[in-house]
Amino acid sequence: MLKMTHLSKVYRTEVVETYALRDFNINVKEGEFVAVTGPSGSGKTTFLTIAGLLETFTGGEYHLDGVEVSNLDDNARSKIRNEKIGFIFQAFNLIPDLNVFDNVEVPLRYRGMKGPERKERIMSALERVGLASRAKHYPAELSGGQQQRVAIARALAGTPRLLLADEPTGNLDTQMARGVLELLEEIHREGATIVMVTHDPELAARAQRNVHIIDGQVVDLAEDPRFHTAYTAAAGQVRS
Amino acid sequence: MFTYYIQLGLRSLKRNPALTALMVMAIGFGVSASMITYSVFRAVSGNPIPEKSSQLFVPEIDSWGPGLNEKGEPPGALNYVDAMALMRAHQSKRMTLIYQIGLSTLPRDADSVPVASNGYAVTGDFFTMFDVPFLYGSGWSTADDDARAADVVLSREFNQRMFGGANSVGQKITLSGHDYRIVGVTKRWNPSPRFYDAWGGSGFGDPPDFYLLLNRALDLHTDNVGRNSCRGAITYNGWDQYLQSNCIWLMPWVELDTTSEVARYRNFLESYSADQQRAGRFGWAPNVRLPDVMTWLDVQHIVPPESRISLIVAMSFFIICLVNTIGLLLAKFMRRAGEIGVRRALGATRHEIYAQYLVEAAAVGLTGGLLGLLLTAIGMSGVGLLFEPEIAQLAHMDLSLIGLTLVVAIFATVAAAFYPAWRAAQVQPAWQLKSN
Amino acid sequence: MHIQPILAALRRHKAGTVLIALQIALTLAIVCNALFIINQRLAHIDEPSGVDEANLFVIANQWGEQYSTQEAVERIEQDLVTLRQLPGVQDVTSSNNYPIRGISNDNFITMTPDQRAPTSDAAYYMGDANFVRTLGLKLIAGRDFRPEEVQNQGLRQTVDPSVAIISKAMATKLFPNSDALGKHFYAMTPNPITVIGIVDVLHRGDVSTWSAPYIGESMIVPVRPADPYGIYYIVRTKPGQLAAAMRAAPKALYAENRMRMIDPKDGLLSFAQVRHRAFESDRGMAILMSIICIVLLAITAAGIIGLTSFWVGQRRRQIGVRRALGATHRDIMQYFMTENLLISLGGLAIGVVLAFGLNLWLHIHLELKVLPLTYVLGGTVILLLLGQGAVFAPALRASRVPPIEATRPA
Repeated sequence: MLKMTHLSKVYRTEVVETYALRDFNINVKEGEFVAVTGPSGSGKTTFLTIAGLLETFTGGEYHLDGVEVSNLDDNARSKIRNEKIGFIFQAFNLIPDLNVFDNVEVPLRYRGMKGPERKERIMSALERVGLASRAKHYPAELSGGQQQRVAIARALAGTPRLLLADEPTGNLDTQMARGVLELLEEIHREGATIVMVTHDPELAARAQRNVHIIDGQVVDLAEDPRFHTAYTAAAGQVRS
Repeated sequence: MFTYYIQLGLRSLKRNPALTALMVMAIGFGVSASMITYSVFRAVSGNPIPEKSSQLFVPEIDSWGPGLNEKGEPPGALNYVDAMALMRAHQSKRMTLIYQIGLSTLPRDADSVPVASNGYAVTGDFFTMFDVPFLYGSGWSTADDDARAADVVLSREFNQRMFGGANSVGQKITLSGHDYRIVGVTKRWNPSPRFYDAWGGSGFGDPPDFYLLLNRALDLHTDNVGRNSCRGAITYNGWDQYLQSNCIWLMPWVELDTTSEVARYRNFLESYSADQQRAGRFGWAPNVRLPDVMTWLDVQHIVPPESRISLIVAMSFFIICLVNTIGLLLAKFMRRAGEIGVRRALGATRHEIYAQYLVEAAAVGLTGGLLGLLLTAIGMSGVGLLFEPEIAQLAHMDLSLIGLTLVVAIFATVAAAFYPAWRAAQVQPAWQLKSN
Repeated sequence: MHIQPILAALRRHKAGTVLIALQIALTLAIVCNALFIINQRLAHIDEPSGVDEANLFVIANQWGEQYSTQEAVERIEQDLVTLRQLPGVQDVTSSNNYPIRGISNDNFITMTPDQRAPTSDAAYYMGDANFVRTLGLKLIAGRDFRPEEVQNQGLRQTVDPSVAIISKAMATKLFPNSDALGKHFYAMTPNPITVIGIVDVLHRGDVSTWSAPYIGESMIVPVRPADPYGIYYIVRTKPGQLAAAMRAAPKALYAENRMRMIDPKDGLLSFAQVRHRAFESDRGMAILMSIICIVLLAITAAGIIGLTSFWVGQRRRQIGVRRALGATHRDIMQYFMTENLLISLGGLAIGVVLAFGLNLWLHIHLELKVLPLTYVLGGTVILLLLGQGAVFAPALRASRVPPIEATRPA
């Protein structure tokens, strides 16, 4: 489903070149639930933005659903984001001007879907997250947990092949976090591929597989000696 | 998708009513100032006779010579001697001579007082050359010119005053004590600018009351009440000597259909002037011009400088309003960079973002255009305060001006939105994710 | 206040900075030229006519019958008597024209009979022995016409006046270094004309731009126009009697001889009306330019407020941090005020060039005079004050951002 080989991402400024990802290899199979962990500044968010086609990479290959994406133009990348990927952000990223219904509608609109079908999908996605009764509410009128559920509904409405989550519970209290996590697990059980970035070990433990990133590389936790000093590594080299 | 953008645009405009109002007002004021001044400019600078303007020419002959002519250019009218010589030469398909006259008329009821009437003394070709439309009858023939007949053509307005609008052809009318036979009544015809009198008058104003057969007017010593210009010491005494003087006052026009005819006529003017030089009448080499209608109006500076200045200043004002709008749209769009990032992440292409914001700008433009229409309509009623009455009365609101106002407002606003919308479309989808 | 960090911050808002500066530049260019046009037009409107405007009115009298010269002279003399007998009338004269009518009868003036390039192109008034007195002209040298000097001029007849009264402006143009009285000149006449009197001010008949080089240059010759077309009667009334005399005059004239035409629209005009009509387009331009100036300044101010408010909103967190680090209200205020000052100065520098550029264009194509530096300086001051005034409210709002903003997420 998601396969990166020898992938690298370099940030260039006037003075220095910094590698955010270096010889990065990962293979997420269809239907997997993978948690990506690592210290702050290790490159996990960079990985996620590249995985979600939000950003381009410098070298190596990235196959998404069997398609090599490095040569796609901006429009093609938008189309893939729209049709194959669902995003769940730490800060929810709902559009404050739009109510719940309209927020969930956004990706469907860009897909050019007809009105009745849009409505059906939106309502079923909202029922799925238990917020069908709040369709006319605005984000500001909802709790954090509810907002994140709306974001999940927005991600689900387009029936994506791949769900990318960036610290989905980072802005939530424990109780709300648990609810969101259960929702993700349920979605996974129904067959979705989920890649979740987190630095919460408890959360990571709920995934099928854990991938750890340090200094822009995937490491095997058992063998790598750097693991023990990882949290004090010079994170400053890497753009945060 | 378009309707979605409209929904989004309206929602966004409602969110910042003050900013929206400011943009709408800037566009409205800018476009209405431009439209009010343009409506005046359009009226004074238009082509008064579009279908024939490139076939009608003013033959100019330098009858004054170096030092007395107009900075090297021949004067804009002819003296009697040259005018009559050109008429007799018959070198063009049609030709007319024109001068302005003022006569008295006595309305029919016996104890009323005479009223002044204004018109032109013209030759028969005037009506055919200028495509004068007739309500009743027609103009007169060149044979009538030669017969020095007492013929007159009335304007529709004058016929209305004198005959209550009835067909007066064949009837008699007394003007300044002389009887004339009415041969025709024109339809409403008042080309603006009045190109054929551009040298003599301001070029604008009420339509003339009548057109009198020129030879008859000359026979009766009917004086020119329009422009008259002389050089050197004035020594004539009486009408006949005046006709032989160097004073210019007759406005000539010729009709020439092809470029070869034009070239031939120019040669004729040259050779006529050369003949005059040989005969000792002109002490200088031939100096002739043959401008067509639009060139003539340009040479005569028929467009008042006020009209040009106000149009230029109003359009500059509009440009400033647009610069203002660019700044405000930029602020407005970039304030929503977060939302744009989310939309991009959810699969909106750059084009879709671009289109969304251009549609929003078009909505501002349309609203600004509607306000502009309202302000233009108000401004039109006040245009009499800004321009001289004879110019102001030409400015009017018509369908084309309404359409132009809206189109200009929308186009200008969308054009102003290109850069801000482009900036919005450049917002990276990754940005929002990263900033958390 | 350190300018360096402000400039650095502006570099990050290039588009907004450029747009505000551009708007200020264009506004300066337009406002300077518009103010200049307004001032020119107002000066034009205020040009003195030299006549007693408060107590004068004019009748444009056209004959309803074709008169011979002799008949016309008799009619005119009869009319003058009729008008003079009206209650409230002080004096009456007749002429071919009157000051600021809008159209001049003008003659080229030369110092010798065969001089080609004329010395002046003077307004040519035909007046009788009452002309100077009736109009209320101030005779500053020499004498008025004597009744026996006045000649009648019929249709396209040429009388050859041997004497003239000229305006001071014309005297100065013709004889810059000596007293004009008793000297000679030619006004398209075969014989010389002797200056017998000089009046202080006598405006031309026209108010056009072409005659600007000859402004105030007028002459009066002792001639009575008696052509079959018509004549102007100029009537001076006793103070306060103008309206009554204006009502009575046409009635009296028609009662005396019905065969005349006094146009109901503009045949009878008080001099106040004459002045109003003469400068209609000047007044219109002044009004239009004033409206444009005011709206333009308002829109520019609103634009500055809008963009600065946006910047303040965008930098709330930054401002909070500054406040947390010890910046006072005053410091924040000063930051935004200085920022605006810098942008304004940049815009005004471009604006000065644009102002002169626009003026040059108007000068070449539409004969506008050269813009004096004072207008540009004045415009610069106006726009600096406008900018500082406009930025005040958003800056005040910025200074009220609490330091707590620093801790909130962006």
